[in-house]
Order: sequence, then C-alpha cells, then structure tokens
Amino acid sequence: MSLISFNNVGIAGMSAAVPARVINNYEYDLYFDKKDIKEVVDKIGVTERRFADENTCSSDLCHAAAVKLLTDMNINRQEIDLLIFISQTPDYRMPATSVLLQERLGLPSSTITFDINLGCSAFLYGLTVAYSMITSGSVKKALVLDGETRSKVYSLKDRKTGFLFGDGGVAALVEGGEKYGRSWFSLNSDGSRADLIKIPAGGYRTMSSCETITEKVVDEYGNIRSDEHGYMNGADVFNFVIREVPKDFNRLLEYSGVEKDAIDYFVFHQANSYINGFLAKKLKLPSEKVPATIHKYGNTSSVSIPLTIISELREKLQGKKRVLMSGFGVGLTWGTAIISLDNCHIGEEIEI
Amino acid sequence: MKEKLISALAEALEMDASQVKHDDIFRDYENYSSLTELSVLAMLDSDFGIEIEMQEFNNYKTVEDLINLVSSKQN
Repeated sequence: MSLISFNNVGIAGMSAAVPARVINNYEYDLYFDKKDIKEVVDKIGVTERRFADENTCSSDLCHAAAVKLLTDMNINRQEIDLLIFISQTPDYRMPATSVLLQERLGLPSSTITFDINLGCSAFLYGLTVAYSMITSGSVKKALVLDGETRSKVYSLKDRKTGFLFGDGGVAALVEGGEKYGRSWFSLNSDGSRADLIKIPAGGYRTMSSCETITEKVVDEYGNIRSDEHGYMNGADVFNFVIREVPKDFNRLLEYSGVEKDAIDYFVFHQANSYINGFLAKKLKLPSEKVPATIHKYGNTSSVSIPLTIISELREKLQGKKRVLMSGFGVGLTWGTAIISLDNCHIGEEIEI
Repeated sequence: MKEKLISALAEALEMDASQVKHDDIFRDYENYSSLTELSVLAMLDSDFGIEIEMQEFNNYKTVEDLINLVSSKQN
C-alpha cells in the first residue's frame, strides 16, 4: 500500500521562472488553419503558453527560480544538503542535471544530488523523497527543482499534442519544523500503460538514427511527427484519469482522516481544461478552491502543480493553509498529497 | 433508458437526437473525433456511472451496443 505520512516537515518557500516568449495559441497558425486550431484550443483551454528558446533548458529555468528563492529567503547556500532535479527534459543523457545545478548554484560538494525522471506526478514523488531524507535526520534543507521544456518534446505538426504543452521551472525549499504538522502522500504506477504517453526512440531501446528523426504522416488527419517526438493517446489517458484519480483522491482523504471541507485548495496537474473541469465536477469541488493556470501556461507536466500554487495562490497563503495536490500522467504514474503550508514564502514568477 | 442514452450521446457529439439511430456506427458520425470521443467517455462516466477500459469501449461499434452497455451495467 503506497500510502505514506510525515510529521513536522514541509515547504518553506517556492519560486518559479517561465520563458519570456508567450505563444498565443489561437494565432499560432504555422501548420494548421485557425478554424481547426479554435476547435482544439477551445476544448483544451490553453489560450497562452511559454516557449523556451533553443538555448534555454529546464535547468536554466530552475536555476533562475532557485537563485531568486535563495536570495529572497536569504538562505546560506552552504546549508543545502540535498538537491533533487525533477525533469524528463534534462541537459544531457549523462551526467545528471542535478549535479550541474549543484555547481551552478554554488552549493557545497557535500550536497546529495540526483535526478528524478518522472512526468506529471513527479513533484509529489520529489517531495516524498525530500521529506523522507529530512525525516531521517541528517538532511536539514533540501532544494526540490522541477523543470520542463515540453515544447521541445512534441511535434508542432501534430494537432493532438501541438497546442497543449508549455515550459517552466520551479524551486521549492523543504525543511523540518513543528509548524508543518502532518502530511500524507499516495503514490502509484502502472507500467502496463507505458505506451499511452511515450517518446518511442532516442533512448537505448531504439537508439537515435536517421530513421527515428524522420517526420512522417501518422494518421488520417495528416498529423506529422517523428519517433523522437512525444506521442499521447489522449482518449485512453483521459479514460484512465477520470477513473483512477478520483479513487486515489478519496483513498488519501480516508487515510489522512482530513475532511474534504477542511482543505483550502485543491491543486491538480494542469493536463487540459477539459480533464480538469471533469475531475473538479466529479469530485464536487467548489471552483474557488481549484486554482488553474492551464489557460496561461498550458500543460507544463510535473511543473504545473507547483507553478499553479506559485502563480495563483501567492496572495492567498497567509497563515496556515491545507493544500491537496493531485498529479497524473506519463508512466503512467499518479499520486495525491495533502500538505500544510504555514506562511509559505512565494516569490513572484520571473521571466527569462 | 434508451432515450436518455441517445440524447446524452447526441449532446456529447453536438448532434440532434433525431439523427441518432440504433444501428448507426457511432464512430462514423461526422462529428466523431478524438476530441468528441472524450465527451462520450465523460458522458458514460458522469451520466451513467460507467467506468470502462478503452479496450472494452473500442469493441462497441453501434449505438445499440452502447444502449446494451448502459442497460447491462445498470441491472
């Protein structure tokens, strides 16, 4: 049973960086006409999103967010014991990007660093690891960096995914402290559904070749992508999510003993506005407790949960607030968490 | 039951209920697409409490198949 609870550990502060380049989806008619685009964009609700330029990686967005966070909170970098970098768009296949960030951020060589390669649920996985290591007693301050440049993953000539994804990076500082109280996590995986969201080639199972980077028409609608572009079976993912995510949501509520009404905000992975609207309705959540950024940042994979907290709850987190987070996607993996934020420092998003 | 399913299906596919016939292969409707398919799945879940695997859903071809699905799950 993948249910975990922690005591007296939590998020002290968060900040985010997004690329300065804004893509207006309704006007983004490089490969499709505006009538087709409108049909897609109306349903997914992504009016705008951010695209990193060719020189900007997930790590650069996280670096900017981390520098702001450490500076704003006046944190001594020598005190950081652990740096976790969460991404599926790392700088290199090796070495791990977290190690590069240790040097760039001027953290001591005693810092524990590693990457977590997971998608839309990964912020919850990353927090669980940081919470565990802090609970062990030897780690005092942990940086959880979570960045994605999904705009570089999917073909812009495939309308099933070409209008959905955007880029962003966040930094969260995790530490111990009695003020944080209890937190609860549920984490899940189902590898039998690995093919539903996948980049088929470019890893070591099917290595990069001229064939794998050749763009092809892949369906009767004329969508075009290569085997090194991301693929997503939207209907299957949707069907899985509307079935399993509410189950996990209710399972964690029951495990924690926290009443649904005692939760101040429900922050879901920003998959698309259709899925998110459906989940909120099925779970009977009041809309004012369900913040969204899908309209302005699109789907930023694992970044979307913390980015939504930073963007939409900055002014609303004074005092102690209980927040439920729900992430789901590639793997497939999914999870739910209930945490307390007590005067959590939230920096304004920066653009780079 | 039949009327409720037909009217919900028509709404999901943005069609008039009078255009939906029992023998129709619903994936052949002009309005059926990867986007409206989501509405059909959402409709089965929220209006009829039906949670099914896609593998099973993909076996259903006609409107009649969906009517039978709804009747069998509700009995």
